[in-house]
Amino acid sequence: MAKDPRETRIEDLPGPKSKEELEEMKMPYEEYCKAQFDPGNEFSKPQSLKGIRWLSTTMYIFTPHSVSNLAELGADVIKVEMPRMGDPMRHCAPFNETYLYPLHDSRPMTGTGMGYLNANPNEYHITMDYHLPEMKEAFYSLVKMSDGLTECYRPGTFDRWNQSFRFLQEMNPRFIYVWGGGFGYGPKCFGGSYDILGQAHAGLASVTGMHEYMGGHPLKHSNWCIDWYSGTQITFGILAAIHWRRKTGLGTMIEFSQVQAATRCLGYAAPLYGRFGIVRQRWGNWDTQLCAHGIILCGKSDFPDAENPQDRLEARYAMVSAFQDEDWKELCAITGMKDLMDKYKSNNERAEGEAQIEIYAALEKWAEDKSRGEVCKTLQDAGLLAEPVCNDREYYEDEHWRMRGTVRWMDDPIFGDILQHGTYASGLLSKTPRRLFWIWRPVGADNVKIYHELLGYPTKTIEEWYEKAWL
Amino acid sequence: MCDIIWCKKDFEGKPCNTINYLDPYCFWNWEGTINCAECGAVYYIHMIQGKMYRGPEDRPGEKPDTSPLYADKPLEGYRFYGAGIPDRTRPFECLPRHIYLGVPDMVKFSIRNRPVRGWRPQAPDGGIAGSYQFNWDLKRLSPDVYEEYQQKIKNGEVTEW
Amino acid sequence: MAEKRDIEINSRADTIDLMNPDIRPWPVTPPPSFEEVMEKTYAKRKAEDFGKWCEDNLRYEYCWGKPEALQGFKFVCCGQWRMGNMFCSGLLCEAGAEVIKVEPPGGDPLRKLTPFGREEYKLESKITGAKCGLDFLHEMRGQKSVTINLETEEGRAIYKTLCSQVDGVIDEMPPGYMDSIGLGYRDLCEEMPRLVYCNIGVRGTWGPYKDKMSKFGQWTLEPFGGCANAFIHNTGFPQDQLPRGKGGDPTRSGVWFADFCAGEQAANTLLAALYWRDEMSGEGQFCEVSGAECQNEILDFDISWYGFNKSIKARTGAWDPNLNQYEWNPCRDGYMMIGGQTDRLWYRIGMCIERDFPQFGRLIHEDPILKEMGGRNALNMLVKTYTLTTRWLRDINRTEAETKLLEYEIAAGPVLFIDELSEFPHFKYRPWVCTIDTDHYGTILFSVSPNAYAQATPHRTKVLGRPVGYDNYEILQKWCGIGQTIVNEYIEKGVM
Ligand SMILES: [Zn+2]
Repeated sequence: MAKDPRETRIEDLPGPKSKEELEEMKMPYEEYCKAQFDPGNEFSKPQSLKGIRWLSTTMYIFTPHSVSNLAELGADVIKVEMPRMGDPMRHCAPFNETYLYPLHDSRPMTGTGMGYLNANPNEYHITMDYHLPEMKEAFYSLVKMSDGLTECYRPGTFDRWNQSFRFLQEMNPRFIYVWGGGFGYGPKCFGGSYDILGQAHAGLASVTGMHEYMGGHPLKHSNWCIDWYSGTQITFGILAAIHWRRKTGLGTMIEFSQVQAATRCLGYAAPLYGRFGIVRQRWGNWDTQLCAHGIILCGKSDFPDAENPQDRLEARYAMVSAFQDEDWKELCAITGMKDLMDKYKSNNERAEGEAQIEIYAALEKWAEDKSRGEVCKTLQDAGLLAEPVCNDREYYEDEHWRMRGTVRWMDDPIFGDILQHGTYASGLLSKTPRRLFWIWRPVGADNVKIYHELLGYPTKTIEEWYEKAWL
Repeated sequence: MCDIIWCKKDFEGKPCNTINYLDPYCFWNWEGTINCAECGAVYYIHMIQGKMYRGPEDRPGEKPDTSPLYADKPLEGYRFYGAGIPDRTRPFECLPRHIYLGVPDMVKFSIRNRPVRGWRPQAPDGGIAGSYQFNWDLKRLSPDVYEEYQQKIKNGEVTEW
Repeated sequence: MAEKRDIEINSRADTIDLMNPDIRPWPVTPPPSFEEVMEKTYAKRKAEDFGKWCEDNLRYEYCWGKPEALQGFKFVCCGQWRMGNMFCSGLLCEAGAEVIKVEPPGGDPLRKLTPFGREEYKLESKITGAKCGLDFLHEMRGQKSVTINLETEEGRAIYKTLCSQVDGVIDEMPPGYMDSIGLGYRDLCEEMPRLVYCNIGVRGTWGPYKDKMSKFGQWTLEPFGGCANAFIHNTGFPQDQLPRGKGGDPTRSGVWFADFCAGEQAANTLLAALYWRDEMSGEGQFCEVSGAECQNEILDFDISWYGFNKSIKARTGAWDPNLNQYEWNPCRDGYMMIGGQTDRLWYRIGMCIERDFPQFGRLIHEDPILKEMGGRNALNMLVKTYTLTTRWLRDINRTEAETKLLEYEIAAGPVLFIDELSEFPHFKYRPWVCTIDTDHYGTILFSVSPNAYAQATPHRTKVLGRPVGYDNYEILQKWCGIGQTIVNEYIEKGVM
């Protein structure tokens, strides 16, 4: 307030204080968002997790992803791999076709498969055979100067090597130690796991895919998505632990079972079984709770002449959604399903199993002589929700993701021109956005940077260790 | 035999000895006729829950309903017929491209025609203990690819997207 | 343990409650004891000491005596219909934060959803009598429910006051809605510069393909996210394995999976932004996550692969196109997953199977192509390997297969249904699903947070489910200084 209460000052009034602020307040919402997130200018802004250093003795996708989230948010990450071989995921490429070279200099004919992509961005890649007594000192030094570590070995392995939480906690009480794996303590403690095991074992497969009576089988979610999704949940555990440590100065150990995370996303499956004994089943491309809200097969592809079979044969599926009564009525009017409109008046009636079978059969009949595009356009023109089931090319070509910066090309320092769909897609932040420096580094690429520049070992020692394959 | 058909028909003067693999999801519950990928003999099979309920029975002269995806010959060093060989195996249509390599694709340029390190071998460029810097000196390491790239720039083939 | 009793069944209605955990306890058979696990699991690996340390320090049962990581953090969550905001705020609650779920006076429409439209599978609050669908109930993990009609001026004032008390806002309303009623980030940030604000959407709240509404106001819900980001296109059995229209089609996830991806990344985004605020700048910020993008981020290398050589990922059913073995296939009583692609594991799988089925050993191990890891992954080799594996599996059931494969230390597991996994020894031992006693809805079986097994600050579900508006009086009194008389007036006027 001004000293004299009779004086009116602009800063005391509600609303914008300057011309710029006025402009901002008047901006249409979309432009405002675009200006706030400002895709492409991430590097002019600070990083959320500046100053955090994390160690990653991880492999495959699940545990690496718990760390890659931190690396994208600005933490310094050191990824430790086994000498020469590196993370086994480097040897995995879609259809064995897609590799970037080299793995490292001593194996010029071997590359890193794209299976490794998105799981270890921005990280410094060193090698270390850390179970050797000779390498313990270096390993412990890293622990002392880091905030935490994520590992994925079989339970008890790091304990045998004197580098489990109970050892490291003594060296660094602030240390946050994450073990991520299949099962955790208990009867199946030593059972190994993969993404697909989680999907199978934890119930996700039992609710995905066409129903037996439609001729289907339990279906795997494409990709290793339970690995990724579980890794992200570890990141949540880590970030919460970091907040706790700000207050108390104390670290923790998190034991995280990837398989369990798949059970976590089953929604009503557990309470429905627990209370009523009903076992949730697969329900194909429809929804168990909403109708109409499902994917239908259309008669014609949108790209009948395309060379790529995915365009030519598969551009035939459309998602149609009209579960609210008015939308449903409109859908029936357009598709000529008058009788069904009268028969199934409420969503609850439509969502019954038999009703769904009848409704989607009628919709597919209507779509029999139409292409995916025609189906979507007809329904959209009527003000209803319908969208194509898009493929990777369509995602790449869609202006929407490009504008939002969540698919973009990047000039990787070592590997060149890479189309990127990770990092930026995991969340936009207006002041401390995620960002990508590099996709990955060759095996051991940062040995000098870490062992020499950070830990102070003479280059001669490093060379010696390297010759002995300790690095 | 069960969900493989080991064909022992006489073929060109000796036993055919070809194994036709009946892949599990397709044939788990299936009834119909299928040909041998080598000699073309047609068999009727009826499978229920992965078990041969009836067959394989010979159906000479009939047109097969389907073919195996894969067949091989154990006595001839596992010579095989992969998917999509006309009159022998059925095609596998659901593929990422119109061609299927199954071996590393040597790629020098991304789809927007900028260099990407997708081919081997690469000239060594590491320093102490396998360390790498933060740049790729294309001109020095792969002058031919660099030249090709210059040509692409000149031809206007290098695009933003 | 409930006692045995006779039940007369005259109609289906009489059977509805028979599975209630108060009548039929969970688990039906008790989990193994610690001593059994010590003997049969830890001791076998000579890890007695380590096993005991883990159980002493990480056991779920001990979480109640430990502090909570996010104690003191407060959030307002304003979202409807979708799982994204629910999962995000559930995660925050389990970690110790306080979250107010703001619902319209009629409640979040998600409360009304129930499998196959069956009203009888909703649960009724013993206190208020209000019914609630199980999907909503299961994700309502400690969030408090306050009803506010944001279309009224008083409602907006209350909402603003709530926001002034919190560290973060989760907004999963349609694109621009909160902004249009003067409650978006740009309206709040000036008075509340420390506020972290996160939008959640399906395809996003801005951009040419942002979330739409039908002309009747119906929202864009999952699986629209999976349709846009190629996940659905990439999931499903190929038409070469099953006929199109009978399973050989692109297929959605059985759950609203992109929503879960968005929810967890929203929670991470909020915590990262709060870390920067508290540790460095003192400033809040504006954030957004979308289900389509968060899920696309985790589609491995798919889009990058297109940029490499114009490959468009094709669906491959229950087989992984990059690895051998890495799949599930049918067996005698269901489906069995087997994994192991390194040479070491590959040959162990072979040894295990050829013990019962010698021909497998011959046809697999003699084949020169299958000797090399890269070569094994080719499509043709998957067909051969999995046909022979299934030839073995079809004669044995899941438990037999699992036992045999685990003897060879191979990662293997059955495809389990919810009833089976609820009784699986490891799962009930930890437990992964567990019962929780609730004052409103009785005993409920639920999926436990995977972050619940930690030494210092395990996450935990303290409350499950909440009737709509149940916390109106407490929160209005405590956060806004508005007493019951006015709250009652508001309720009468439709403001709350
Ligand atoms: Zn033959």
